[in-house]
Amino acid sequence: MEQESFSPQQSIDLIQSMIQKTKNAAADSSVFFLLWGWVVFAACVLQYFLKNVLHYEHHYYAWLLIIVGIAGSAYFGSKHDKEAIVKTYISESVEHLWLGIGITFFALAFIFAKIGYEHCFSFYIILYAIGCFVTGRLIKFKPLIWGGIGAWVLAVVSAYLDYDTNILLTAASILISYIIPGYLLRRQYKKQTI
Amino acid sequence: MFKELDPILHSQLRLAVMSLLISVKEAEFTFLKEKTNATAGNLSVQINKLKDAGYIEVIKQFSNNYPQTICKVSPAGVNAFEIYVKALQSYMHPNGNGQ
Repeated sequence: MEQESFSPQQSIDLIQSMIQKTKNAAADSSVFFLLWGWVVFAACVLQYFLKNVLHYEHHYYAWLLIIVGIAGSAYFGSKHDKEAIVKTYISESVEHLWLGIGITFFALAFIFAKIGYEHCFSFYIILYAIGCFVTGRLIKFKPLIWGGIGAWVLAVVSAYLDYDTNILLTAASILISYIIPGYLLRRQYKKQTI
Repeated sequence: MFKELDPILHSQLRLAVMSLLISVKEAEFTFLKEKTNATAGNLSVQINKLKDAGYIEVIKQFSNNYPQTICKVSPAGVNAFEIYVKALQSYMHPNGNGQ
């Protein structure tokens, strides 16, 4: 870039072109949607299988799989931070949002332990909806927005269904709000970087 | 009456760096180099000028044993950028009030 004097119009054009270049500058975050998407999906399917096929009393042990999600998040989170060459206000907002949602999941575990788990999945699904919808709006990615809306609908539906069906409904909600948008997000990021 | 343009900002590479940094929280040297297509030497000189003017903060650290230079715009830099853009507007709309 030359250092010669330039006109006000060229200054405006330069400012606009540089600001444009910072759009979509954030690193690919699809790994977190895919990691948690598959962990929760697998836990749902496993719990359903343990409860309804094997009739195992401690079927909820399937949710120990979230340890894999926590360990994976810590690993990929640290890698993500080291590899990121730019931090945008949007990526920081998304991080804060998911941190808040993560803490809410943790708090809910104690609440359900006290009041009972009968309708716990409705609350989990509605949290997926909030996270995906807001993230989708922030990063302007429609599949996440639609995934969030779909999860809201399933959260309402789940209130009218029994516990066992809700396990499968949770698997369906994670599929539409995390897994499918996660793969589409990864594809979009790869297209941008080619 | 035309407003005087800040000579620190009225330089293509320094203005490009400020425009990138104004839109993000912070950015690494490699990001600025990639987006401006500048040489490392020239970019380094211009970053130092912006730093000396108090428009940006430069943090040097190590990540995975590699040196890392992180730049972020300072409140003084945001203020100078706003004044610069208003001055540009007065050039673009000489009969108006620069709004």
